[in-house]
Amino acid sequence: MKHFTRLALAGALAAATAGASMAQELYAPNLAYRTGPFAATGIPLMNGQADYMTLLNERDGGIGGAKIDFEECETGYSTEKGVECYEKTKGKAIVTQPWSTGITLQVLPKTNVDAIPILAPGYGFSPMMDGKTFQWAFNTPAGYWDAADMIIQYLESQGSLNGKKIAFLHLDHPYGKEPIPVLEQLAAEKGFELSPIPVGLKEMQNQSAQWLQIRRMRPDYVVMWGWGAMNAGAITEAVKTKFPMENFLGVWWSGHDADLAIAGADAKGYKSISWSFPKMDAPVMKDIQSMVIDKGMSKTDETEMKGVFYSRGIVISAILAEGIRAAQAEYGTAEINAEQLRWGLEHIDMTEERIAELGLDGMVPPFKTSCANHTGHSGGWMLEWDGEKFVKVSDLLTPNVAGYQALAEEKAKEYADANAPWPVNEGCDAM
Amino acid sequence: MLYRTAGQFKTSYEADQALFPVKQDAFLLGFIMVLAWVIFPLTASEFTFQTLLIPILIYSLAALGLNILTGYAGQLSLGTAAFMGVGAYACYKMITIMPWMNPIIAILLSGVFSAGVGVAFGIPSLRIKGFYLAIATLAAQFFLVWLFEKWAWLYNYNASGAIQVPNLDIFGLYVSGPQADSIVQYYLVLFIVCLLTWVCINLTRGNLGRTWKATRDMDIAAELIGINLMKSKLTAFAISSYIVGVAGALFVFMWRGAAEPNLFDIPLSFRILFIAIIGGLGSILGNYLGAILIVGLPVVLNLVPEALGIPLSSSMVEHLNFMIVGGLIVFFLIVEPHGLAQLWRLLREKLILWPFPY
Repeated sequence: MKHFTRLALAGALAAATAGASMAQELYAPNLAYRTGPFAATGIPLMNGQADYMTLLNERDGGIGGAKIDFEECETGYSTEKGVECYEKTKGKAIVTQPWSTGITLQVLPKTNVDAIPILAPGYGFSPMMDGKTFQWAFNTPAGYWDAADMIIQYLESQGSLNGKKIAFLHLDHPYGKEPIPVLEQLAAEKGFELSPIPVGLKEMQNQSAQWLQIRRMRPDYVVMWGWGAMNAGAITEAVKTKFPMENFLGVWWSGHDADLAIAGADAKGYKSISWSFPKMDAPVMKDIQSMVIDKGMSKTDETEMKGVFYSRGIVISAILAEGIRAAQAEYGTAEINAEQLRWGLEHIDMTEERIAELGLDGMVPPFKTSCANHTGHSGGWMLEWDGEKFVKVSDLLTPNVAGYQALAEEKAKEYADANAPWPVNEGCDAM
Repeated sequence: MLYRTAGQFKTSYEADQALFPVKQDAFLLGFIMVLAWVIFPLTASEFTFQTLLIPILIYSLAALGLNILTGYAGQLSLGTAAFMGVGAYACYKMITIMPWMNPIIAILLSGVFSAGVGVAFGIPSLRIKGFYLAIATLAAQFFLVWLFEKWAWLYNYNASGAIQVPNLDIFGLYVSGPQADSIVQYYLVLFIVCLLTWVCINLTRGNLGRTWKATRDMDIAAELIGINLMKSKLTAFAISSYIVGVAGALFVFMWRGAAEPNLFDIPLSFRILFIAIIGGLGSILGNYLGAILIVGLPVVLNLVPEALGIPLSSSMVEHLNFMIVGGLIVFFLIVEPHGLAQLWRLLREKLILWPFPY
């Protein structure tokens, strides 16, 4: 038991010394996952995020004169480590990026008490779009329900869905189940038949049973909500069972270049909805190349840089930077705190002009957040794998948010009731 | 010198058989108790509570439960995490069906459900032993996690399939959920862990503990001297699962705040088994030492480079952490295959003789 005291002492000491070293900086930690089972997708995202922040520090001297301390805390995608990182960083952090549904679930109820905004771009609990209830959570620029709606919209543009069969291949996990309420609602509206096919966490790499079911069912389309090893597993199975790739679509987390590169030309035609796009000739990419990568300040490599996930990391950091700028302008100080950043994230206005100004043209669709709307509902593009890379095959699709607004409010209320006492921001107008 | 036993005379059998035949042991325990009940809560930060103190206590309790079954009664089990899950889900259902229920009572009662499930899965132990039994408990592991996923009633038909701990209070003081203070949760966990540890110490030193040990050491011989093996094995399963179930309820209600079914999957079982093995099978103290090594040490190691000002990336620290902790586990097992508790036992014997060994 002697160890115990020594360990606790060391812990206390470390905590004390860690708190003492800060000056004229904005501490925006990222709960990264460069290790563990999902590292393959984590690394490009984390590199993109970090590189954009490095670029801001190098090129502009930070944001509004304050440098960004974009420290990573490694979670390995484990919820336990995630909570450890959250506890470690929350004292001085102005924002937290949980990066996994499990960690988001744990951290979300605590934010009301700790008063730190959660930035969960494109993931997390969809009803978080209701900013009135989820005062501290932001899933800009689009949530899973938006994705479900956009995918169905795209399919509808290919022909009426009435009487069609859609298989919904998803990870049997909170993340995979997330869009089901909206898909069911759309199925009833548009008259298609939805069959959810769950893939257990243990079956991610071996989906022969699921694909046998798909083959027997003969669906017109397969929509996938996959993550990590499940994506590559599904794509290789689809190729093996000769499922027509052009009828196979995924959410944005199922559009990782490396997963498709395994199948290469065989996966040609696979589609993924996305709110980010890798545009190599965008000014920001050139700046990153010359001011970050060429100076050896990045961990990324050339193939990775061309991928969808790297550019998504850049977009995420750009959104956070916009939030910080908005807050700095409102409160007239460079060193904003967590509460002020929340205001900033509620007042992001990414117009076409602003996106061009940031050098991100074509990489992210325009969107606008407000006190009641914490998602922004930017919409997205349908990307298609051409055998080597993803290309845009649709114009900007915008989700029909009104269709599930009521559902979001209902679910948000359910959540608030289950977690009572849950303070609601009454100051917001309806969305 | 510190552990000199000279002058401590025993004049009765009771004194000789006491829990602490050597006075210094009692002082040491008293000191640790003061640390745990007074010093830590007064000095610890939120981070220390949430990442060191509370998880170490909960993992120790879970390992203690497993140790009753594997260390004392000799029945190898790989289903610990699933039994923890039963406790957690039982507690969740009780709290949501009967919101007026006192959370402490709910947590203590939730163990009853996992005890029942544990006994059911313990029945094969009457016929099979060793590795074969481990496979049978593995079935419990797979079946129960599958059940947590598929039986929507268990998580109140929540769309995400996860259970979320509501804010619960005892006389207006929040003990679980996001509104609860860490210090309150810590005291509650500490209270339950101390209580169950005290019960376990007494059980293992008493009649029941002796039957378990006899069963473990040679079941045929135990049967021949008149021990009812069925009773011995099933009580071990029941009591072990009870403690594990309470640990599971604490795990979710006092620490995690939310749980998905796959949280109770096999990696957690292994983690607890490692704690029990590295700490020392057949010992109570070992569970605490094991939990400190496996749960606490990585957290502390993560802080070291930053505290010393060494610029290492977070993922690098994580990789180093894996190597150091892995290396330490191998090292401790080579130095003392019977675990950290045995290491302490040897150290204590040496201390008693020190500085004049024979």
